[in-house]
Amino acid sequence: MAATTLDRAAPAGTGPGTAVTGIGSLLRFMLRRDRIRLPAWTLGLPLLMTYFAAALDTIAQSPEDLAGLTAFTSSPAGALFGGPGFGFDDLTIERFLAGQYGLYILLGAGLMGLLTVVRHTRTEERTGRAELVRANVVGRHAQLTAALALTAVMAVLVALLIGAMMTSRGFDVGGSMVFGASVGAVALTFAGIAAVTVQLSEYPRAASGMAGAALGAAFVLRGLGDMAAVQGSGPSWLSWLSPIGWSQQTAAYVHDRWWPLAVSLAFAGATAVTGYVLSARRDFGAGLVPPRPGSPRAASWLAGPFTLAFRLHRASLIGWSAALLVAGVAYGSFTQPLLDGFENAPEDLVEVMGGGSGDLLAGYLGMMGLTMALVVGVYAVLAVQSLRAEETEGRAEPVLATSVSRTAWLGSHVAVVALGVPWLLLVAGVGMGVGAAASTGDAGLLGDLLIGHLAHTPAVWLVLAAAALLYAAVPRMLPVIWVVLGYGLIAGYFAPILELPEGLLRLSPFEHVGEYPLEDVNVVAVVVLTVLAGALAQAAVSVFRRRDLAGGA
Amino acid sequence: MTAAIDIHHIHKSFGRVKALDGLDLRVDAGTVHGFLGPNGAGKSTTIRILLGLLRADAGQAQLLGGDPWADAVALHRRLAYVPGDVELWPNLTGGEAIDLFARLRGGTDPVRRDELCQRFDLDPSKKGRTYSKGNRQKVALIAALASDVELLLLDEPTAGLDPLMEAVFQECIREVKNAGRTVLLSSHILAQVEVLADQISIIRQGKIVETGSLTDLRHLTRTSVEAVTDRPAEGLANLAGVHGLRTDGGQIRFEVDGDQLAVVVRELGELGVQGLTVRPPTLEQLLLRHYGDRPVHNGAAEVA
Repeated sequence: MAATTLDRAAPAGTGPGTAVTGIGSLLRFMLRRDRIRLPAWTLGLPLLMTYFAAALDTIAQSPEDLAGLTAFTSSPAGALFGGPGFGFDDLTIERFLAGQYGLYILLGAGLMGLLTVVRHTRTEERTGRAELVRANVVGRHAQLTAALALTAVMAVLVALLIGAMMTSRGFDVGGSMVFGASVGAVALTFAGIAAVTVQLSEYPRAASGMAGAALGAAFVLRGLGDMAAVQGSGPSWLSWLSPIGWSQQTAAYVHDRWWPLAVSLAFAGATAVTGYVLSARRDFGAGLVPPRPGSPRAASWLAGPFTLAFRLHRASLIGWSAALLVAGVAYGSFTQPLLDGFENAPEDLVEVMGGGSGDLLAGYLGMMGLTMALVVGVYAVLAVQSLRAEETEGRAEPVLATSVSRTAWLGSHVAVVALGVPWLLLVAGVGMGVGAAASTGDAGLLGDLLIGHLAHTPAVWLVLAAAALLYAAVPRMLPVIWVVLGYGLIAGYFAPILELPEGLLRLSPFEHVGEYPLEDVNVVAVVVLTVLAGALAQAAVSVFRRRDLAGGA
Repeated sequence: MTAAIDIHHIHKSFGRVKALDGLDLRVDAGTVHGFLGPNGAGKSTTIRILLGLLRADAGQAQLLGGDPWADAVALHRRLAYVPGDVELWPNLTGGEAIDLFARLRGGTDPVRRDELCQRFDLDPSKKGRTYSKGNRQKVALIAALASDVELLLLDEPTAGLDPLMEAVFQECIREVKNAGRTVLLSSHILAQVEVLADQISIIRQGKIVETGSLTDLRHLTRTSVEAVTDRPAEGLANLAGVHGLRTDGGQIRFEVDGDQLAVVVRELGELGVQGLTVRPPTLEQLLLRHYGDRPVHNGAAEVA
């Protein structure tokens, strides 16, 4: 008995070869758990690329169409949201696909890598499941190694599938393989980064947040570098600081360089080794960065349902404000290059931008107002979903067991979100305005954009009130509200192409106020939408008083 | 005595599942009332109806003289509630949550709050997501005990507490009782209810099957006796009310109905008792009688 115990105990503690004992079973177990996720990622990314390819085929049917696209994409703005534009002076479909749309496939691959690693390491530790696993004959590094191996398998699958898919469309085999491999390489580098971030914090969300921030930084760095490269001056070397940049520097279908991917592999290896070293320096379940204590007392203002609702929505409001400000400035600074680039854009695209009337600038600004309104609509719906989580996860129950009425509880949350809506539109408008004014040198655009953005407030309110009513009446049906936003997007962007009749178009709450400055703000629509939203919110509150509350336990 | 809680024939169904099936419950003001039953018997549903979180399908409920559904907000100022599974906001500290609940209930005593934090050994500066189940439970308990209310509704309040904290909890409930407040204490932890409750109601499948003081209920069950006697005691098996008598190397064990205890003890005396252990029925046995229709021991057959 004693001998067998000793036999088993010895290998677990010694030598690198046995620190990964049990990796085979763990990997099989992970494959079993990811039987939906793994195909979703590894088929999803190639399918997205297929979609891009098919869409491009319909937009650009002749060489002239392609040439029209280049004017836009080889501008600095095009570089920011696309890439360094290798071979764009002699453009082909596949060069455009890899050089412009490829960026978004690379981003997706980065997300796949970091989310998979966090899911199978820190999340497992946090929930306590890893403790059960580690109590068996499983080596210290087996879990991380198995997670990295799983991600590597996914990366190789994605690389091969994308390469095969591009080849099957008749593109050059060598270039297709380089492009596929460049996608897989991004997955590996961000798996490595996640292997480090999961060691830092106790919380899976913080770990994926840090790795996600690294992905964002990689996007911005290569964006700045690529802009400089396209302009032919400035710090184009910045692209070489970014894992996404390395993959783009392979210049698929132009130079077909493999060697930048060696940098990616070396980086992935180095970060993974760092992850192993750090993991040996921390306790199981702990992070290297200790959690900060908070205030032992509540601030004096935190004393009622409204201030509680504000406190609970505050973090998300701050995050959305920052994101919308950055997005606003980015899209605002697009304005001038876009006007230059659109001079010979395909007719359909001009039509979507409202350019039929000949005023491209007003069309673009009005379009951006609608875009931001739809994004803020997403915020409003997510906020109502968080309310549902408050109920189902049992945090609403103890609040409603105090002297807070149901009306006050739901009303406070809806009121906080309703105030957040014009605030976020204002922030987005300021960002757009500053960006557009700087780009075109016309300071007057700031005012136009503020009006254009804020005018959409009642439309978003209507979406919010409808979501609140769905939640109050039939919580399970809340996801139906996404249909309204989805339809708003289709009606707003593709109505001219789809030739939707006017009556159908006006079903979308976003099609009434008008896209200022292209169209005037329809004051009657503003009033009607506001009154409608108020009525729906009122209905939500009175319905909510009548139903049973879902239990936490 | 006035009733703090008075429920008549409440029914509640969730779809096809009948949670409460004509439940009656009366809790006198100023008492600690144990609300005992296995999981899924309907304890939480009853409490959530009392809180106006659920609406009863039929029957009447009175809480502190009001209607729990219609007067929910006014009544909630006068009571405090601790759920069985406490969930806190991940990014609010325990201290913030305690203050918030107390303020939402309409005021708190900061001195008492700090004293309770100390007694329960809770660090109020930690974020909600870092607390264990036991610590989340402490947050809700402190928030409830620090408020000046007439009624405490406690739904399995000590499920995650260690024995030391359980003792602190019992001390606190005694103080609450001495201050003249009412407590409804739901539990399936029998020892806890036994120690604290003046009155007990046992719920099974949505109905109260037994109610009364612990003494009242003991008449319904059997006392366990272990004895060492000079002379053979097998003859006791023939007495009325004696069940499951077994001899084990000079030691005898049996159970006896509560109302036959006096006769049996007299008889034991005649046999020259050297050692005697008499254990009152535990609530476990009370529950077994109601939930398993099998007897506590199958001893009678063995002896025969």
